[in-house]
Amino acid sequence: MSQPNTTDMQKIETASNVLVLGGGLAGICTAEAIAAQGYPVLLVEPGEAVGLKAESRPLNSYSQSEKDTLNKLVEQVRSSENIEILEKTTLSCATGVAGDYRVWLSGQKPLSEKQVGAIVVASELIRNPLNAAYGLEIGGPVITQTDLEHALASETKKFTGKTVAFVVGFGQSGNPLVMERVLRSALELAQIEGTTVYVYVNDLKVAAEELERLYLKARDNGVLFFKLSQAPVIETQENGISITYSDPVILRDISAQADFLVIEEAMEADSANAHLACLLRLDLGSEGFMQTDNVHRYPVSTNREGIFVVGGSRQVKALDQACMDAENAALQVRRLLGDGTRLAPANKAVLDIGKCTFCLTCYRCCPHGAIYWSTENKPVISLIACQGCGICASECPMDAIQIGEFSDKAIHDQVQKSMANTGKAPNIVAFCCQNSAQEAAQMAADFGIALPEGLHLIQVPCAGKIDLDYILNAFVQGADGVLVMACHPRNCKSEHGNTYARWRVNDAQNRLSKAGLDKARLSFVTLASNMGSEFARIVTEFETWLRDL
Amino acid sequence: MIVAERKPFEEIKSLLEPYQKVLTVGCGTCVAVCLAGGEKEVGILNAELKIARKLEGKPIETGAITVERQCDMEFLEELDSMVDQYDALLSMACGAGIQFLAERFPEKPVFPAVDTSFIGVNRDVGWYEEKCRACGSCVLGLTAGICPVTMCAKSLFNGPCGGTNKQSCEINVNQPCAWYRIHERLSKQGRLKNIMEIHPPNDWRNQAPRTIIQPGYEERLKAFNGK
Ligand code: SF4
Ligand code: SF4
Ligand code: SF4
Repeated sequence: MSQPNTTDMQKIETASNVLVLGGGLAGICTAEAIAAQGYPVLLVEPGEAVGLKAESRPLNSYSQSEKDTLNKLVEQVRSSENIEILEKTTLSCATGVAGDYRVWLSGQKPLSEKQVGAIVVASELIRNPLNAAYGLEIGGPVITQTDLEHALASETKKFTGKTVAFVVGFGQSGNPLVMERVLRSALELAQIEGTTVYVYVNDLKVAAEELERLYLKARDNGVLFFKLSQAPVIETQENGISITYSDPVILRDISAQADFLVIEEAMEADSANAHLACLLRLDLGSEGFMQTDNVHRYPVSTNREGIFVVGGSRQVKALDQACMDAENAALQVRRLLGDGTRLAPANKAVLDIGKCTFCLTCYRCCPHGAIYWSTENKPVISLIACQGCGICASECPMDAIQIGEFSDKAIHDQVQKSMANTGKAPNIVAFCCQNSAQEAAQMAADFGIALPEGLHLIQVPCAGKIDLDYILNAFVQGADGVLVMACHPRNCKSEHGNTYARWRVNDAQNRLSKAGLDKARLSFVTLASNMGSEFARIVTEFETWLRDL
Repeated sequence: MIVAERKPFEEIKSLLEPYQKVLTVGCGTCVAVCLAGGEKEVGILNAELKIARKLEGKPIETGAITVERQCDMEFLEELDSMVDQYDALLSMACGAGIQFLAERFPEKPVFPAVDTSFIGVNRDVGWYEEKCRACGSCVLGLTAGICPVTMCAKSLFNGPCGGTNKQSCEINVNQPCAWYRIHERLSKQGRLKNIMEIHPPNDWRNQAPRTIIQPGYEERLKAFNGK
């Protein structure tokens, strides 16, 4: 259905300043990168101070030279004219859309309202000692990785002549950040007079170049690594710890003694993310990060335009990766805010306020948070934030929203026209998401695969645009069968478009049965854009089935 | 708002059995908001009717219109020029709107397409809860903003019945006991004395058809409508 582009463009003004939430190193780097693009930054940190203190990684896990570099960066940010820092401050409320967010901050100063064009969330990870996985309590000879880092910074003598054992990778699947901390500490211990260091590890995660070097250095300095497939049995005794494991080579149980046992720590998403995600209307992903797996998005993007996530907000990330996120976020901010004005197609999603009954359905359903309630108490669709999926339009009980070239009338006319001059072959109306099924259909056609004679493709911007009444009306117009063709689960560009489509198909099937039609005449399928032959197989089988009826 | 639910299709179909041309009239207020009878639902219902009647070999012709509110005569005016073409009207409004529609077009059979269910609130898209029975003498000020008429299965005014069961109502463990909640909230607010006095029963005789003339409008009624 793509027609020559005659769309009117609308000019939209955007606010130029950016809110960065979180003053750990990821937040610092982000503030710096965005300010360097010329946008004023408001850097907000809930804790005492921005910088190393706000980091999830304990201060002591950095080397002195690293600390120096990082502190220099913090100083730079502190003295930057383009960056305002608010410490002991949190976000209490946020409204609006990309280019024009209103945020309320509370903290040292009384609640204040600010307008910002974009928001970057830079949450830190939290450390969680995994002693429970080993059936141990922290205390005495059993210490956490953080305890150890602390001790190494202040009282190294404590370890002279002692045996220290690490356990890592049995309480969680290993990750490089965790491994790096273990390797650094093990190496440091090994360099203390007379210590013996054992590392019992499940899966040695040393994928990063630096880590590999660190590992070799630790080994060369006498750290003993035991790669085990099962966690060792650990018992606390009066004078230390006993560690028993089954040796994979000699196939025998081996016991060792240690003075200290260092328990691994998980680096996890901060549980505060859930609250923040709720305030910002972000989809919370698996494991509590503020991003879902969505192949269609840039690495730092979220379901909402103008809200980006970096570092610990989106994944377990090492420092260099967090800095990369910061650069990406700055690029995204520039793409969004430009020089303060943006052009967007005026007809992307048009809301007829005269028809609207203010039911909030569109506001609640938009997966991109692109609809806001204006101060005049009406819904407004942001042309910047809207992705044109049409989920709102298909849910609106008053048909008050129309999507660009995919208006209700245009779709209705297309279905009607496709039915006009049909032959004997069964009429199949296939509503195809343009991100998957439509491309698969194109591929099938390009490959010259024969498709049913009575197949009519109706392209939609997202399966979420397939209204219940489109489906039913296709039957009214004379379709023998209807296919709703969406992206695979968890693969929808608009997150829930395929889910809405599936729900509507279930609903429509019930309605069709009650009207006396075999509900199998309506079918929901999911496809990927490269599944041309699968597309052909599905439509052909459907046709065969319809012919046999 | 008033919350309604679409009637089962079978029932609507049998109501319309004898008619060939039906105008389905949606309502753009409460029933649109609760996703039962707005413009979208009108289109869907008409499509269902057409499919079913075609299969039965008795095709039906349908018209569709959604007015702002069927409970205001002025909004029904726009139907005046249309109804003649139809054998029957199918209203998707609440019971009040349906009756006003029937009053405006007394010569036409008017049928309900929804069951009007309750006065309630909207928790999320498609999810409604009953909150008020329009008893005509609201006690929410005494009961911490929780309605004992609606939320208590026996509409008790003076504390729970003997069946109150660990925070639940005896009719169903998933139904919270209204009086447990009232007690909880009042005690948190330090207002328990609110319910220490016996509250007399409501005057349920008020359930006879009620009319309200807002204070200040009596004169207007007499001047313009009193004939
Ligand atoms: S869904 Fe439709 S009727 Fe409801 S608020 Fe949005 S535009 Fe208005
Ligand atoms: S078309 Fe999609 S992205 Fe745009 S406002 Fe509607 S639901 Fe949101
Ligand atoms: S007491 Fe209950 S039923 Fe009566 S008016 Fe108040 S909320 Fe409605």
